[in-house]
Amino acid sequence: MSLRDSAIVAYAETKVVEKSDRDIFELDGEILESLLNKTGIEKSEIDALVVSGLTRTGAGNVFWAQTTADELGLEVDFCEQVHIGGCSATGAVARAAAAIDAGLCATAFLLFADTPVKEDNRRERDFRGEWTDTYGLMGPPGSFGLLTRRYEHQYGLDYEMLGKLAVTQRNHALLNDKACEKLRKPITVSDYINSRMIAEPIRLLDCVMPCDGATGLIMMSRKRAKEKGLSNCVIPISYAERTNYRGGEGMVDITWSGHEAAGQHALKQAGITLKDVASFHPYDDFLIAIMLQFENLGFCKHGEGSQFIRDNDLSFNGNLPLNTGGGLISTGQAACSSHNLVEAVRQLMGEGGARQVKDTRNALVTGIGWINYGRNWGSSSVMVLVPNE
Amino acid sequence: MGDVSKLNDTAGAKRVIRRHGFAKPFWEGTREKKLVIQYCRATGKYQHFPRPVSIYTGRSSDIEWREVSGRGEVFSYSIARRGHPAFRGQEPYAVVIVTLDVGVNVIANIMNCTRDELRIGMRVGPCWLPLEDGTNLLMFEPDRAAGVN
Repeated sequence: MSLRDSAIVAYAETKVVEKSDRDIFELDGEILESLLNKTGIEKSEIDALVVSGLTRTGAGNVFWAQTTADELGLEVDFCEQVHIGGCSATGAVARAAAAIDAGLCATAFLLFADTPVKEDNRRERDFRGEWTDTYGLMGPPGSFGLLTRRYEHQYGLDYEMLGKLAVTQRNHALLNDKACEKLRKPITVSDYINSRMIAEPIRLLDCVMPCDGATGLIMMSRKRAKEKGLSNCVIPISYAERTNYRGGEGMVDITWSGHEAAGQHALKQAGITLKDVASFHPYDDFLIAIMLQFENLGFCKHGEGSQFIRDNDLSFNGNLPLNTGGGLISTGQAACSSHNLVEAVRQLMGEGGARQVKDTRNALVTGIGWINYGRNWGSSSVMVLVPNE
Repeated sequence: MGDVSKLNDTAGAKRVIRRHGFAKPFWEGTREKKLVIQYCRATGKYQHFPRPVSIYTGRSSDIEWREVSGRGEVFSYSIARRGHPAFRGQEPYAVVIVTLDVGVNVIANIMNCTRDELRIGMRVGPCWLPLEDGTNLLMFEPDRAAGVN
């Protein structure tokens, strides 16, 4: 498998803010400079730019990747924008690795920048304008309200266990100085339960808060990383994605997601089982999405998510560390939702600081992208990362 | 924000509907308060929302439009407490997914329904909200003729 021949040699992050006072291109520049400083490589060595979809600021510009290359003065042989919503971050790593392996490029700059609060240029063209906006279905919270109510009907749902997820992630954000300051305040399970309803049964503290910020990665072949002395690096050893899971079927169980298929593939490719997972960094646009991923990946059976959360210590020093930077929900949803990936890279490099996990044998990172009509989500991705041995 | 024990019918919402050309048979049917949806001849299954092809076979030639009763049961629901911009002031209102008896899920609002009544499995039937262009918007209401259910 070609992914194993590539390495993530550096990561960079801006501070996540409620609303950026800087232009998105300035954030791009901060990330580039940080990565050049960390790796010691020259700008001229970067011969690939992979930017993410899920940028509301970049939306509407059909030349976004090229525009970004031009702003940064990058001359590249591979220029790509990955468009699978919240799967774009993991998807970008896989695509960069494939391009490196195919000889299309040697040193890739992966850039995840978005300032949706400062500047939202998005205009979607899909079913919503005809079939759901018409009924006042309020964006992702509305869709996850429908999903959650159905889950509760099928299996029962202990909302206090969603509260436990909220508190665990919030505690991690308290230790993450890159997280949005507004979210770096302790909360309790009762704060979660009592937070105001947005789209019943979705509460305010179930939801991500859109924020502004950027992250980036540098990738190259393992051979090249070794030659450059970049030994503290992270290897993506497996990846799978599934878009439009069961999309050619009519009535489906909406509590099943593409993570069921992608998870099996990625774990098999990595040669590990769920029992071997050392830390888990699932996409978290809503808390219920974490529970559904526990179930769909196979950490527990369908319907047993509440019990699984009750039975496990998900804090950074627990038996199954979860989103140790705070997740998107307590970091702020910025940087094209790349923070859970970047956090996994940081942990495997041993740079977790006060929130460093003990077991850095591997990390499991996922993505969720787009929301479909009355089901769960459009794309599911699963990636296993390991440190350089 | 209104009394959260009641549900708004959303008849006052200022809806702007962006229609796709290939959904025209659906909207034309609503002029006579008929629910006309896509049916795949090859598989004998319905689909909604309208697509350019059968989602089962990938072929437009398998698609025909059939009138259905619109009766079914609530599959899930969410109560909006902070509305979509066109629905501000209508809160709280319910968005429901209804499984039609022909085996397809449809998202809409529910009218003439109290918060206490609304639950998954409740029988519903279609009702129609007039739109300015002479078409009608598909909504649902409790099927009280179905009795206690």
